[in-house]
Amino acid sequence: MSLQKQTVVPDADAPVATYPSPVKEFWQAFSQNKGAVAGLVFMLVVVFAAIFAPLVAPYSPIEQYHDHLLTPPAWCEGGSRAFLLGTDEAGRDLLSRLIYGARMSLLIGLSSVVVALIPGVILGLLAAFFPRMIGGSIMRLMDVLMALPSLLLAVAIVAILGPGFINSIIAIAVVGLPAYVRLTRASAMSELNRDYVTASRVCGAGLLRLMFITVLPNCMAPLIVHATMSFSSAILEASALGFLGLGVQPPTPEWGTMLASARDYIERAWWVVSLPGLTILLAVLSINLMGDGLRDALDPKLKRIA
Amino acid sequence: MFAFIFRRFGLLIPTFIGITLLTFSLIHMIPGDPIEVMVGERNLDPVMHAQAMHRLGLDKPLYAQYFDYIGQLLNGNLGESIKTREPVLKEFLTLFPATLELALSAMLFAAFFGLLAGVIAAIRRGKATDHSVMGLALTGFSMPIFWWGLILIMVFSNYLHWTPVSGRVDLAFDIPPRTGFMLIDSWLIERADPANFSGAFIDALRHLILPTIVLGTIPLAVIARMTRSSMLEVLKEDYVRTARAKGLSPFKVIFVHTLRNALIPVLTVIGLQIGTLMGGAVLTETIFSWPGIGKWLIDAIGSRDYPVIQSGLLMVATLVIVVNFAVDILYGVVNPRIRHAK
Repeated sequence: MSLQKQTVVPDADAPVATYPSPVKEFWQAFSQNKGAVAGLVFMLVVVFAAIFAPLVAPYSPIEQYHDHLLTPPAWCEGGSRAFLLGTDEAGRDLLSRLIYGARMSLLIGLSSVVVALIPGVILGLLAAFFPRMIGGSIMRLMDVLMALPSLLLAVAIVAILGPGFINSIIAIAVVGLPAYVRLTRASAMSELNRDYVTASRVCGAGLLRLMFITVLPNCMAPLIVHATMSFSSAILEASALGFLGLGVQPPTPEWGTMLASARDYIERAWWVVSLPGLTILLAVLSINLMGDGLRDALDPKLKRIA
Repeated sequence: MFAFIFRRFGLLIPTFIGITLLTFSLIHMIPGDPIEVMVGERNLDPVMHAQAMHRLGLDKPLYAQYFDYIGQLLNGNLGESIKTREPVLKEFLTLFPATLELALSAMLFAAFFGLLAGVIAAIRRGKATDHSVMGLALTGFSMPIFWWGLILIMVFSNYLHWTPVSGRVDLAFDIPPRTGFMLIDSWLIERADPANFSGAFIDALRHLILPTIVLGTIPLAVIARMTRSSMLEVLKEDYVRTARAKGLSPFKVIFVHTLRNALIPVLTVIGLQIGTLMGGAVLTETIFSWPGIGKWLIDAIGSRDYPVIQSGLLMVATLVIVVNFAVDILYGVVNPRIRHAK
């Protein structure tokens, strides 16, 4: 049957069929989802503000203006044009703290995704390639990590290692690790039986080549989608740790840490309480919207029935 | 069926051993000297230091310490709190009903409204209702719940004065714990002694509302999304078309023919939310000063009460494992394809 197909010689005069480039094809599918595009735009703004924080922010995030304690936002009674979103209990400009806080939150989110992704993929591939020898023990180890509620495990790790920036990243990465291992293992196992893997094996490809060049690229779609989704949950977990006083330590601005100190002003200063949380919500929501769009574009198998 | 349960149970044992290894090693991962960290002082008297090491068994080789630890666990000895000198197990059992009450009520809230939202979105698929319900669900799913709790307190407690700010019941009611569930206890005592405890039940209920909403928000969103996609899947089936064609009322088609069959994946999701609930309980209980397991663990971390952290985590993990095991088994009962799969 396949011989017949091969005998069809393309007509040299016929116009060459042009296929859209993968990037264009991806963008077409992604931009179908309006929510995903809106999420992307918002995140681009946040990332821009984070990178160029010293240029964008009107003030230093830790400079205290003692004449302007708890100034309301500019559009409220008693607000001042000088402090657009008002000031906090120490007289620090809220907008500047939110902009600098984006640096911390995005950095923790991104680093913990990378720190979880790399060992997660390696362990997942190992578990798929050697299901009998080490696969079982890797998966049991992941079961252990999965048994503890993610936030509780992160809290426990930080409680042992001590609070701080690096330790937050470690804790969130450890919590996220099992999902990457399981996902990589599952998709690699389904690829392993395909003909192209056997062909590559027969051609004498070494183990590392099989793992990373033959199999891994074909497992990327669900991994990219999951990495996006776990980026948003990493931001949530980082801010929860900050809120519990176990994350980045004050006066460094971080969205969750800002809320921890805002609790005492809940009756007097709504802006100190609402704005940092709203920023977290919008950032996480945008990333999740992008994740939905990415899933529709990259992985039709996972596509929502819509 | 028996073989299925047995096989699943077999997987449980290595996981449980792994958990004990994890909680055991936690205390050894403390950077620096564990005694100094626990006492919070430096340059401790060497004699006292040695005594403390001996009392906690930290002077033995590591493997011997682990076997001691397992031996104690098997005897039901989970150590005692450094701060209160109470056995950890006793503290856990006293506080657990508070968390269970909150978690159950959050789960009921999430399941009811989640199923409702999912069904509505599915039958209005593609319309504005569908988009707004799913938009709200994604917002709920992205919610930093500690902030959500603060906002609800700000609006409903501080501004509107509808609900109390914190705790399980007004301090004026000194309700002795009987079942540990405040709703049941307050109801019982209000019936037994109406003169002193009039309004206790309603008060307990009012205290429960905001924490329930906060803890239930993320599970609600997850259930709504799952219900919608599962409903859409089932709505495509031939038997739904047949049910419609033979003239059944839309209500019957949706709730009897479709929802019942769409429920299986939703039930699994509900079961798997137990981990989310226990994690969320940490934040919710901290915000509302709810005297449960979550707040207890956070307080223990704050005061470096390592036996409480160690055994508390062990108990929570065991709980999650057992519930997930039960969900697995239930899933096998309702779905034979799972039961017979290898």
